[in-house]
Amino acid sequence: MSRELTIWLLVFAVGAITYTARVSFIALFARRSMPALLARALRHVPVAMLTAIVVPAIVFSAPSVLDLSPGNIRLIAALVASAAAWWRQSTMLTIAAGMAALWLLQYLVG
Amino acid sequence: MRKSFSPAAFLEGCRDSLPMLIGIIPFGIVCGIGAVAAGASPVASLAMSMIMFSGAAQIVATQLLASGAPFAVILLSCLVVSLRLLMYSAAMAPYLRTLDHRWRSLLAFVLTDQAFAGTLQRFRDSDDVGANASYFLGSGAMLWIGWQFATLGGVLAGAFIPASWHLEFGVPLCFLAVLVPLLRDRVSLIVFAISAVAVVALDAMPLRLSLICAGLLGIAAGVIGDKAMRTHE
Repeated sequence: MSRELTIWLLVFAVGAITYTARVSFIALFARRSMPALLARALRHVPVAMLTAIVVPAIVFSAPSVLDLSPGNIRLIAALVASAAAWWRQSTMLTIAAGMAALWLLQYLVG
Repeated sequence: MRKSFSPAAFLEGCRDSLPMLIGIIPFGIVCGIGAVAAGASPVASLAMSMIMFSGAAQIVATQLLASGAPFAVILLSCLVVSLRLLMYSAAMAPYLRTLDHRWRSLLAFVLTDQAFAGTLQRFRDSDDVGANASYFLGSGAMLWIGWQFATLGGVLAGAFIPASWHLEFGVPLCFLAVLVPLLRDRVSLIVFAISAVAVVALDAMPLRLSLICAGLLGIAAGVIGDKAMRTHE
């Protein structure tokens, strides 16, 4: 299967998933309330999933090479960005701080 | 549906979503960059934003695609990141119950983190369901349009800016901007720690299943953590 075809199939399949999640309680089970355990579990989805997405992009310097040393410039840049995100909850500022740190470190190291 | 539509409330919703639009633009740009980096054509990259209309699902799909994960694993991972939409759907549902089916189907399409956050208070404060729904639609429509322009910007940036600038690093940075402010209570920190350790420890799992498994372990840790905190009190 070509990459382009795979991507188009993904567009519609994932589109169906996101729409189903959105429409779920609004239209599909409008008369039911959410089970309590599900409601409690869903509160933790953002932190759990965001962490699982972000951490590998930062701590692996190459596929499957864990690098927690100060020599990993992505790790340092991510820490700078996290400090910015903690200080001011601004996406723009977080990205600016992280990219600036990455470029500076790249220049200094490389 | 036409009867209950209020143009004034629609425009108000459009206007009030402008500050949130500024917040999502960088995220839309990185979605465009990520899609191009994963080998999607410009048209397919835009279609992702038009149809999936979810930054987290788009990023997960493109990153897993780029790392060679199988189709089913990509779908399953997107399903897990989309679970939070269930939470918004359930929270909005009581306010939309009196609207007809077309209204509800349309509003569901533009239900996002931002539209939810910006609209819920209005539904709580006012009983005019038609005006509230129009406001919600205006806010959602504006965010949808802005998302498309931001993605287009990212597609163009991805095509013309050299790889040595590492623009794809904007993707984890965008997620950090959302994640870090959420880590303000003890249970969230536990969820973060478990997910982080698990995703690294499980990295050797086949088919890039580490993402889903680490996410589910984090969620389980959160449920257990909540229970432990309650019994502690």
